[in-house]
Amino acid sequence: MLTRHLLRNRLTELSDDERALLEGAVSQTRHYAAGQVVVRQGTPIEVSTLLVEGMMTRHVDAPDGRRHLVAVHVPGDFVDLHAYALKKLDHDVGALTDVTVAVVPHGALERLQLQDPRLTRGLWFQTLLDAAMHRQWIYRLASLNAIQRVAHFLCETNARLLAIGASDGEHFALPMTQGDIGEVCSLTNVHVSRVLRELRERGLCQVRSSHAHITDLRSLTQMAFFDPEYLYLQPAIARRATGIDGAPHG
Amino acid sequence: MADRRAMLAPRTDAGRATAENGVVLLDGPDGVAVTMTADAAARTADSLLEAARQAREQAAARGPGAADAGEGLD
Repeated sequence: MLTRHLLRNRLTELSDDERALLEGAVSQTRHYAAGQVVVRQGTPIEVSTLLVEGMMTRHVDAPDGRRHLVAVHVPGDFVDLHAYALKKLDHDVGALTDVTVAVVPHGALERLQLQDPRLTRGLWFQTLLDAAMHRQWIYRLASLNAIQRVAHFLCETNARLLAIGASDGEHFALPMTQGDIGEVCSLTNVHVSRVLRELRERGLCQVRSSHAHITDLRSLTQMAFFDPEYLYLQPAIARRATGIDGAPHG
Repeated sequence: MADRRAMLAPRTDAGRATAENGVVLLDGPDGVAVTMTADAAARTADSLLEAARQAREQAAARGPGAADAGEGLD
């Protein structure tokens, strides 16, 4: 099911009927190769994109030529649902990895809005999650130092992937270069490299070959001042995302 | 109810500068995380030392306890 990860394990979840309704609104699936721009800033948009497989980014190109990653998306994210109301984006959306997306025309979203208010509320919840994450990203850049920023991003990604079953709480695919992580955390490659080494030497986390292995989640969480409340996860998932829950992974 | 938020105030802890792969990394205090070339780091260091000297003079002129008070809005 294309919509199976949407709002999965969040405080607002979709019913099977609602998922089926949304599934019926999908006009097509598309595949993009890693590095492709899927939605370009300023282009008029009449469809929204649900990420089914892979990872995507939102990025802003600064006038000085630097690219800033302002969001990283995982399966289940309705990457540009805000375009339904805005009709164009103030940033680009790109494929971080090879991705599969489901395309939902805005006309179909409008019909859903009239047909199912609860589903509409769920979709609104999804865009509010985006806003909540943006607030945390601002906090992260403003208040945390280099190692805390990277630790916070790793905790957040682990939590989001845990919610969709793509992390066991310790291991997850992280198909990002040090440059990508640097763009997320506003750090240079050399700074990211040093921080990742420090995290490894402290026995907290190992990131290599597009894979993250969190070796001490509780300590990593504490170092990052990471509190997953802003992700609006089901309580059991939120506990696992901070290492409080000692339940076996799997 | 009392507002328990910590006010933004001048930091009393220092940032930590380290050399890595031919550049200088400055970490902290607070959210500072900057990579500089050696030359830029040296110029920053000079600028910081000069500003620190001036700030000490300003603080001395204002008297004891006024060093970190800053200018209030009210």
